[in-house]
Amino acid sequence: MESPRIGLLYLAPYLIGLLVFTAIPFVGSLYLSFTDYNLIQSPSWSGLDNFRELLNDRTFMRSLRVTLLYVFITVPLKLAFALFIAVILNYRLRAIGFFRTAYYVPSILGGSVAIAVLWRYIFADAGLVNMVLSGIGLEPLNWFGDPVNALFTISLLRTWQFGSAMVIFLAALQAVDKSLYEAAAIDGANKWHSFVHITLPLITPVIFFNLIMQMVQAFQEFNGPYIITGGGPLKSTYLLPLYIYDEAFKNFNMGYASAMAWALFVIIMALTVIAFWSSRKWVYYAGDKRS
Amino acid sequence: MKLLTTTILATGLLAGAVQAEDLRMSWWGGDARHAQTQEALAVCGEKHGHAVAAEFTGWAGHQERITTQIAGRTEADIMQINWPWLPLFSPDGTGFADLRDHADTIDLSQWTDEQLAGGEMNGVLNGLPVAETGPVYFFNKTVFDAANLPLPSTWDEVRAAAGKLGDGVMPFEAQGLNAIFLVSTTVTQMTGKDLIDPETTTVAWTPEELAAGIRFYLSLVEDGTIRSWQQVASEGNIELFEMRPWAEGRIAGTYEWDSAYAKYADPLGDQELVPVPMLQVEGAVNDGTYRKPSMLFAISARSQHPKAAAQIIDCLLNDPDAIDILSDSRGIPASRTAAERLTAEGLIDANVVAAHDLVQQGQGPVPSPLSEHPKVRGIFGDYLEAVAYDQIGPDDAAAEMIDEIDRALRSFR
Repeated sequence: MESPRIGLLYLAPYLIGLLVFTAIPFVGSLYLSFTDYNLIQSPSWSGLDNFRELLNDRTFMRSLRVTLLYVFITVPLKLAFALFIAVILNYRLRAIGFFRTAYYVPSILGGSVAIAVLWRYIFADAGLVNMVLSGIGLEPLNWFGDPVNALFTISLLRTWQFGSAMVIFLAALQAVDKSLYEAAAIDGANKWHSFVHITLPLITPVIFFNLIMQMVQAFQEFNGPYIITGGGPLKSTYLLPLYIYDEAFKNFNMGYASAMAWALFVIIMALTVIAFWSSRKWVYYAGDKRS
Repeated sequence: MKLLTTTILATGLLAGAVQAEDLRMSWWGGDARHAQTQEALAVCGEKHGHAVAAEFTGWAGHQERITTQIAGRTEADIMQINWPWLPLFSPDGTGFADLRDHADTIDLSQWTDEQLAGGEMNGVLNGLPVAETGPVYFFNKTVFDAANLPLPSTWDEVRAAAGKLGDGVMPFEAQGLNAIFLVSTTVTQMTGKDLIDPETTTVAWTPEELAAGIRFYLSLVEDGTIRSWQQVASEGNIELFEMRPWAEGRIAGTYEWDSAYAKYADPLGDQELVPVPMLQVEGAVNDGTYRKPSMLFAISARSQHPKAAAQIIDCLLNDPDAIDILSDSRGIPASRTAAERLTAEGLIDANVVAAHDLVQQGQGPVPSPLSEHPKVRGIFGDYLEAVAYDQIGPDDAAAEMIDEIDRALRSFR
């Protein structure tokens, strides 16, 4: 067999998966967003009606606001925390392999249903967190019944899944040339100065990569709020993916749900474009004349 | 050769000319229902020579699961369907198989014409009513006995129990869906009307009537009879029967479907959960009973083995062995033979019988399946929550709620 054919053969499973599970549904949802489709009967063309309705839909606007808030809370928190832990794990400590694995585990488990259920028990009225608060003499908090606390609680679950970002940061930290630190130390720089003026600029491409990935993932969060709070109270954790799901599968509005999904896609694209545009001012690549 | 041919023919005749098939059946429920249904399916499958794969979940998310399966044409051959879903999945009666096509397999004479009408869409028998159901007030008798209090028969007695049942013990609970039930029943008792007028497919209640129902709910929170919405929400997105305060007897009552008795009684262990006659508000014109066919058994319109599926349905609902196994796991069966057998053998929990009798004897308007439409329920729940969180007053909430529900109902007129 000729080598290009072997290459295609190896690629086939991925390409078929991409086509069947991503490309076709992607194009299909674009078509459905211009239709009135109740899942039972055939879709009927409705033009831009679904998109016009979005502009007057109070639930959509509220859900979008909550989603943006969630993204702007969780992404910086998660990146900062992942970088902080990566810096610690970059030191040559005893049993460092164990700690690196242990800190990575939540990112594997974190998005699962089981962990969401566990989170619900931990932050419940009589849960572990309130028991600890009571134990140290503080008033227990209503984590799920208070709209502000509820959003914070599900944000914390996402922040806790910092492992994958941390591993990428760790790889970037280890790639920083040690001679730069030695030179800085000779010039009298302390650890903080070295971190701010050497480490951070040199890992900005990785910060940028993690920023984009985490932002896209945060916009798609579903499991946490669906299982832990059901989107409540007062829709304070009703992220857009939950609203899309409800419209599609509870209210039989697949056309409208598809329109919302495309609105979400456009928002993510816009923020990604802004991030790429801004990256020219703060991301430094090797060989870049600015650095 | 002759022997072989004879054997094949005899096997075919014995199996009712239906060959062994691989079937799937889906349902929702609690642990007891799951175990009993799987056991009954094994028995029925063996009797008819079919293998039936069980697909079961809790209530939450089941409708979405069925919706996805039907849209993707991957639904099970036999489905447990909620009555209000019929107009959603089968508006013209073609969404499910016509069970009258299998009248030679399913003994339909075990249901009254009225019961069968509850499973019809557009004159097509899409589902067989497994039971009739309605919400009933249940109280934890053990908790009331321990406090030397009689089981309440009026709202005043429920209110009076607050603070007398023990430290931190609440006499009742109503949040989310239960709060909707409570407010709906209250307004129905006050007005004699169901939420939706079947003639006009609009909300039958005036804003003043609905606001009075909401105020009644708020008064229960204010005097400590029920936990506030905020307090219940502090448990997270979880049902009452899964909550520790319920299992530990720190919540002593609820308003739930009679068919859900086992789901609420099982977590209580040795504590006894009993139904009480409908609690009524002052000036009630009826007791507000909301009686409807509960779940239905339906066959997928796309099933490759409808005959085999019909055999399994008939077995589950009419076969003595399956009746004994399933017992009251879905409430008192609607099938006459099943109800008579279980009653005669004393196989049904006395409390389930009592709850069922309360629903059957109760008086209330015939409800519209649209009362349980997800959109209607969503609007009702959202406004009640907003009132509970003091975001809006009862009068404004009632007026806006009625406006929004009427808008949502437009497409069904």
